[in-house]
Amino acid sequence: MLKMNNLCKSFRTELVETHALRNFTFSVDEGDFVSVTGPSGSGKTTFLNIAGLLENHTSGSYLLDGIDVKTLSDKQRSQLRNEKIGFIFQSFNLIPDLNLFDNVDVPLRYRGLSRAERHQRIEESLARVGLANRMKHLPSQLSGGQQQRVAIARALAGKPRFLLADEPTGNLDSQMAKSVMGLLQEINQQGTTIVMVTHDPELAMQTSRNVFVRDGQISEAETIMPLAAASNQ
Amino acid sequence: MSNLEFGPIMRALLRNKVGAILIALQIAVTMTIIVNAVFIIVERKAMMERESGLDEANTFYLTTTGFGKDFESKRVTIEDLALIRNTPGVIDAIQVNAIPMSGSGWSMGLATQPGEEIESVGTANYMVDDHALNTYDAELLAGENFSPEDIRFRERNQSDWPDLAIITQALAKSLFPELGIDEVVGKTIYIGDNEAMIIKGIIDKLQAPWVGWNNLDHVTLTPEMMAFPSMRYLIRTEPGMRDKLMTSLEETLANQYPNRIIRNVETITATRDKSYRQHSAMINILTATMILLTLITALGIIGLASFNVNRRRKQIGTRRALGASKQAIIRYFMVENLIISSFGLILGVGLTIGLNFMLIEWFAVKALDWYYIPTGVVLLFVVGQLAAFGPAFRAAQISPALATRTI
Repeated sequence: MLKMNNLCKSFRTELVETHALRNFTFSVDEGDFVSVTGPSGSGKTTFLNIAGLLENHTSGSYLLDGIDVKTLSDKQRSQLRNEKIGFIFQSFNLIPDLNLFDNVDVPLRYRGLSRAERHQRIEESLARVGLANRMKHLPSQLSGGQQQRVAIARALAGKPRFLLADEPTGNLDSQMAKSVMGLLQEINQQGTTIVMVTHDPELAMQTSRNVFVRDGQISEAETIMPLAAASNQ
Repeated sequence: MSNLEFGPIMRALLRNKVGAILIALQIAVTMTIIVNAVFIIVERKAMMERESGLDEANTFYLTTTGFGKDFESKRVTIEDLALIRNTPGVIDAIQVNAIPMSGSGWSMGLATQPGEEIESVGTANYMVDDHALNTYDAELLAGENFSPEDIRFRERNQSDWPDLAIITQALAKSLFPELGIDEVVGKTIYIGDNEAMIIKGIIDKLQAPWVGWNNLDHVTLTPEMMAFPSMRYLIRTEPGMRDKLMTSLEETLANQYPNRIIRNVETITATRDKSYRQHSAMINILTATMILLTLITALGIIGLASFNVNRRRKQIGTRRALGASKQAIIRYFMVENLIISSFGLILGVGLTIGLNFMLIEWFAVKALDWYYIPTGVVLLFVVGQLAAFGPAFRAAQISPALATRTI
């Protein structure tokens, strides 16, 4: 469902040209739970931004569900993000002035769903992350783990084809991180494809596949063997 | 409607209300001042544009003051008028005691019955001869003009009035509201309580000397010239000849009779400008105030919207990441401004009406015409939306990739 071929991304300033991704070839199949690891500055976030249609690549090809995203207008990219991709951010990115209900409602409004359908989806997704009884609370009234759960509910409410998670446990303590990771595994088991960027090898081991990125390229030698894959061998 | 996000925007605004309340108050105060100022300006402009009845662009006047024991005012007046009227380019001229809109003149009370106890109608009095209608460019609606035989000379210290008068249509309606214009001709009116005058004619329009007077259109012409050493001539010229004749006639009159001073050679256009100078100044001040207030309000809106955009850069990036198009981001900020403006404008409507009541009470201005308020609402709504568009457009340019940045 996600296929990158010889994908390059470079940033140019007056003095220097930086290659964030170089000949990046990568694919994700339906139902995968892929972790992307690598040191700081390796190109993980650039990969995530391109995969999530948050920015364009410089060259190469990227097909999302068979659509060449390079040819899309800004409006079409927005629509595709809204309909096919769910985002989970490291710092949750909840809107502080909106209660949980309205936060989860944000992507649904952009899709133009009816009021009744939006209500149903918001209630379902908040219930799924165990926060149905706190719909009227503000994000500031929740713990970090709960806020990340709301962010997951927001991503799930749109019923996306795949989830992009950027260091989803980066701002959480180990207990909360474990809980969030458990939730992501549960979501994956229910059929949602997940690509998770992380610097934590322990989390990477809990996914079904790992890709290690160094200097904008996939480094096969440093790839972490996930637990599931190891037990199969 | 769900895409307009009224509900979430309202709820978010209620959690950050200080800036929004200040801008709403600014909009309300601006609307209050602008609507009332525009109303005052329109009223003043209408006042300034009232027709005097004169051929203003081609009329001027001058004052001549004779001196010395040999000065014969009657002879000089007759000779002066003959000379002026025979000058090429002059349509007609009269000797007159006062000039419309000039600020100084004579007024009397007229009544339809004799007696001190009878309520009179105020009128300005112009002492003129049979050339007055042509000089004033006045149209005779009913009756007749004065004949040369009707004209007398009024001596200094003489206080009685001639027995004929020509009055304006407006004065005729005030004196005889129940009669048609033709029926007023021949009627007797009383000046100074009990001096009878017969109305010989009715003219369409002529203004009194005092532009702020309620009875500005009440004018009575009496058939007389003044045998005074100081006298004024009102001169109407052919189009384009006024300025040239102002200079040449001053010189000609001075040469005709050297023992006099000629001064105050002035056009009616200049007299109008002087009389309405205060009104013009007020219009300019109010206009400048309105422009300044509108600019300050627009800048306030730009400032608040820009502040909100900068404060929410991450939030905007997140919204874009979650599927908001650029148009959706612009729409968000425009709707937010619309809500703030609406509260300001609703409050502004109340304040506008309140200020108008106070102006009516304190300064006796007229009540605001209803359409000023919706016009003010629409104007400020448009100004507000235009002001918010710039920051909203800048917000839409924020990259969705900002959502993944940790700083």
